[in-house]
Amino acid sequence: MASGKQSQTIADHIEASGISRRRFLEFCAMLVAAAPAGLALTTPASALQVARKIGASRRPSVIWLHFQDCTGCTESLLHASRPDIADLIFNIISLDYHETLMAASGYQAEAALRQAVDENSGKFILVVEGSIPAKENGAYMKLAGQSALEVLRDVSSKAALVVAIGSCASWGGIPSADPNPTGAQGVDSILTNKAVVNLPGCPPNPYNFLSLVLEYTAMHRLPALDAYHRPKFAYDRLIHEDCPRRGHFDAGRFANVYGDEGHRQGWCLYKLGCKGPVTHAPCSTLHFNELPGVWPIGIGAPCAGCTEKATAFRIPLFQTVDIHSITPPEKFPVINAPAGSVGVAAAATVGAIVGAAATAVVIASRRLPDSKQIHALQKPEEISKPKSKEIDPEGR
Amino acid sequence: MSKAWERSVPVFDIPILTRPFVALCAMGIVACGLVLYREIVGLGPASGMNDAYAWGIWKTFNVMALTGLGSGGFAIGIATWIFGRRRLHSVMRTAVISSFLVYASGLVLLGVDVGRPWNFLWIFVPWRWNVHSPMLEVGFCMPLYTAVPLFLEAIPPVLEWIHSRCPELESITEMAEGFLMRIYPWVLGLAFLLPAMHQSSLGALMLLAGNQVHPLWQTPCLPLLYVWAAAFMGFAFVSVILMICHLLWNRSLDVDVLREMSRITAWIIATWLAFRFADLALRGRLPLALEISSPSALFWMETLSLAAAALMLAVASRKRNIRLAFQGSLLAALGGLLYRFDPTTLAFQPRAGAFYFPTAIELLVDLGFLSLAVASFSLLAKVLPILPASNKLWHVMEAARWNRAILHPRQDDYKQYVAAD
Amino acid sequence: MEITRRDLLGGMAKGAATVFAAGGVSSVARAESSPSEEKPQASKTAIAMLYDATQCIGCQSCVAACAQANSLTPDTKLDRLHQAPRDLNDTAKSVVKLYKPADGSPYSYVKQQCMHCVDPPCVAACLFKALKKEAGTGIVTWDGSLCVGCRYCEIVCSYHIPKFQWHGVNPKIVKCEFCKERLAHGNDPACTSVCPTHAVIFGKRTSLLDEAKLRITKNPGKYYQERVFGEREGGGTQVFYLTRAPFEKLGLPKPGNESIPGKYLKWQKRMYSYLLFPAALYAVIVFVTRKNWDRHEKHLKEEEITTGLRPQL
Repeated sequence: MASGKQSQTIADHIEASGISRRRFLEFCAMLVAAAPAGLALTTPASALQVARKIGASRRPSVIWLHFQDCTGCTESLLHASRPDIADLIFNIISLDYHETLMAASGYQAEAALRQAVDENSGKFILVVEGSIPAKENGAYMKLAGQSALEVLRDVSSKAALVVAIGSCASWGGIPSADPNPTGAQGVDSILTNKAVVNLPGCPPNPYNFLSLVLEYTAMHRLPALDAYHRPKFAYDRLIHEDCPRRGHFDAGRFANVYGDEGHRQGWCLYKLGCKGPVTHAPCSTLHFNELPGVWPIGIGAPCAGCTEKATAFRIPLFQTVDIHSITPPEKFPVINAPAGSVGVAAAATVGAIVGAAATAVVIASRRLPDSKQIHALQKPEEISKPKSKEIDPEGR
Repeated sequence: MSKAWERSVPVFDIPILTRPFVALCAMGIVACGLVLYREIVGLGPASGMNDAYAWGIWKTFNVMALTGLGSGGFAIGIATWIFGRRRLHSVMRTAVISSFLVYASGLVLLGVDVGRPWNFLWIFVPWRWNVHSPMLEVGFCMPLYTAVPLFLEAIPPVLEWIHSRCPELESITEMAEGFLMRIYPWVLGLAFLLPAMHQSSLGALMLLAGNQVHPLWQTPCLPLLYVWAAAFMGFAFVSVILMICHLLWNRSLDVDVLREMSRITAWIIATWLAFRFADLALRGRLPLALEISSPSALFWMETLSLAAAALMLAVASRKRNIRLAFQGSLLAALGGLLYRFDPTTLAFQPRAGAFYFPTAIELLVDLGFLSLAVASFSLLAKVLPILPASNKLWHVMEAARWNRAILHPRQDDYKQYVAAD
Repeated sequence: MEITRRDLLGGMAKGAATVFAAGGVSSVARAESSPSEEKPQASKTAIAMLYDATQCIGCQSCVAACAQANSLTPDTKLDRLHQAPRDLNDTAKSVVKLYKPADGSPYSYVKQQCMHCVDPPCVAACLFKALKKEAGTGIVTWDGSLCVGCRYCEIVCSYHIPKFQWHGVNPKIVKCEFCKERLAHGNDPACTSVCPTHAVIFGKRTSLLDEAKLRITKNPGKYYQERVFGEREGGGTQVFYLTRAPFEKLGLPKPGNESIPGKYLKWQKRMYSYLLFPAALYAVIVFVTRKNWDRHEKHLKEEEITTGLRPQL
């Protein structure tokens, strides 16, 4: 790893390394796209202005530690769509220690870490990839005889900023999935006294990492963070809110089964278990590898919610989630909606009542005397039932 | 003056706990259970009311239509006390008690229907009243009428009963009766004024609905038509009650009184119909009645049944035809009910696509409370002196010394005492 | 000639009746001559909304904003995923409906909410004044501590606005109240503040009426009947509609130009004014009844003598 002269600004260094200015401006444009709002670095919003700001700063020293990781976050940083962009990245940041990329191993690696930490003490940005096993006092992972816990505590004590990149470092990730045999935890659970910025994702978008680091280096400030210490410029919107397939959701067009007509048409993946409605991440607007459409939903795979501790590796992939922010659909109510109906029981009751009443009326009507019968009686003013036997005023 | 109906006598020879009575009470208990269900779940699941038809049969039928039938005390009272038809005195108690029971059941159902009944306590705070609201007039006047003049009119049979059963309270009952006799004209005044006010206000309720009520019914004279209809409905209902009591309990019928009632009812209906048509003609709405449409069919159902009723009652009165009087009174009651019910539901169209039909629960609650009213009437008529009869029957009853236990249950034997002369 | 107490009382009653009757007649006459109660006017500071259906794109942001501002649970009965009330109801104070004629003539969206009429029939109907029209702004508000839940307001409203909660033990009447809490903090109502095309806007009634008329003048032939709905309907409302489609097709009723309480409760008000007419009637009734009562008392006494039975009242 080149430990590089820190006295040079980034602009000088880029020029010295022979990377074209155009590439650099393209890179700055990607940064603006990654954080249109919420970063002092990109507020002026023109790539040129961003380039000027970055160019005037010194290359930040980055020490990158791996713990229980798959190296996916590093891969995401490296998997630029063109090789020269990868080249560019390593001329903008000074990657002073990185186990995957460095040539050294064994004692040389140990020495390299010690040297990188000592030389940049108090100034370097510590990037942690992977979760830290805390069970049995950290016995599940040892680096050069020291437990992961000790290494982390040791190195972070000298860091200017700690960035937990990826879900594993942010909250535990895959290693922390049930039953979590190693007691895997995120960095901020271990370093309770140190400010840690989390960049969850599996992997997270590398441009968010770069924006964060450059904001810190060039503007000497951290962006606004949310309750989980995630930068708001990247993590304050749900996938569902900005999803390109949102129109299909609002119009009620869903893929119901993998490979069905709706799936082929690119319809909403909600019913296949998309976790977009509960996942905070920038993927809807910032795809991967600098290429549009390179992200899960873009290729027809429902979002797995990889940034969220409550969702990723916890809720089954194909289980649908609740929508928390309910919004109107593309369907409209008609001017006069139908209301009210006749129940079967009600109709039967009415029928019974009417039937009973009609019968009673007919019977009563027949039993009452008409004028002929009245005139036939002796005393027309007074009526009672016809006499059936002789009158006997005495007896009963 | 005829001698058939001279004083009120209880139905002393029929036991109270008959099978029909128990059945009626059982229906009432079912209704109470259903009301509990309504109170717990709300009006929506228990009834067919919806936002377009916000009023269901509990209000539109039991309060707005049925209390017309319960206007016997009002209508017959006016005929007796203001127009001096002395012959109708004998049926006043029947009219008052039946009115009281119809009003009581109507008010109970009104209480079941409203969604926030605890706020009705504001009725005791006059400065909270919206004095121009017809609903306030109804909400204030109906309970007041039932609780004061109707109640006081209904008290004398009770006082009589106490007087004869509890000799030790004789002085108190006599004092009460004396007091009642002194204030009676003032009570009667209220008994005629208050129903005139609220029966007309029941009509005024639908005025504010404007052109949501079909023009064949909507008129500024709606209050007048409602109270006028209450008049003939009251008469018709009391006639029907008396005739049914004759059939069920072998009470004698006074042909002259029934003739008079039929005649008066026929006249009220005839003038009502004339006024209705005049009103339609003056407002230019008669052509609507001549269209072929459901509202016009409804209109003619009302009109023809009432016209037929008036005719039947007129003929019955002249020819002494009791059967015709019964049928005519029933038609008059039904026609009146239909008229008062129509502007609230059948001729009320708030918007296209809306529809209302009561649920089984609504119908059973209605039926249950009306059954309770009928059962109450049966109970009261058997215990208190309400139904009119001859003095002879009174003596028979006295001979049986108000003691039902020693009475012979066979009805044949009783008859001879009535027919003998 | 002896003047009995009865005669004196009778004479007094007659006199009182005449006085009351005269008073009743004069109050009727007075009522007839006062024009103010017959033609209610909007207050000078009345607020209003203007909805131009030709600008509405049916995005339903107003529906979502209204539900959010009023903390209403979204109505998801349609598909359990979307907030899709089919009509105004106890969880929807504002809805957007679509009029799509089958013959292919131009369709139109229509936003529905309380019209805050100048002389609301619901306010005239409510027996304990639970529905009240605020003096300055003219907002029609509902007070749960006074409402009896009789639903008379639902029956009388020509626009079918007040909606009752048909479930539960504490049912409320739900309707748009012009976001009065937001107004108190100096904000606009939620619906007007989120509309992306300014199809629905907020302002003073007089200004919005002028604006609407200006639009009509500037765009002859565009708007239905070249007029604003709500200027005079039912005596005037505080929500105006400018549409291309016919008003009745959009569910807007035809209440006429007179205020409904003014038109239909005229005689009720006159008859019950100061209760003079009922009092006069009472006096007359009692006067006649007493005469008959006296005769009846005499008859009862005679009967008692002839039959030997205790008289029945």
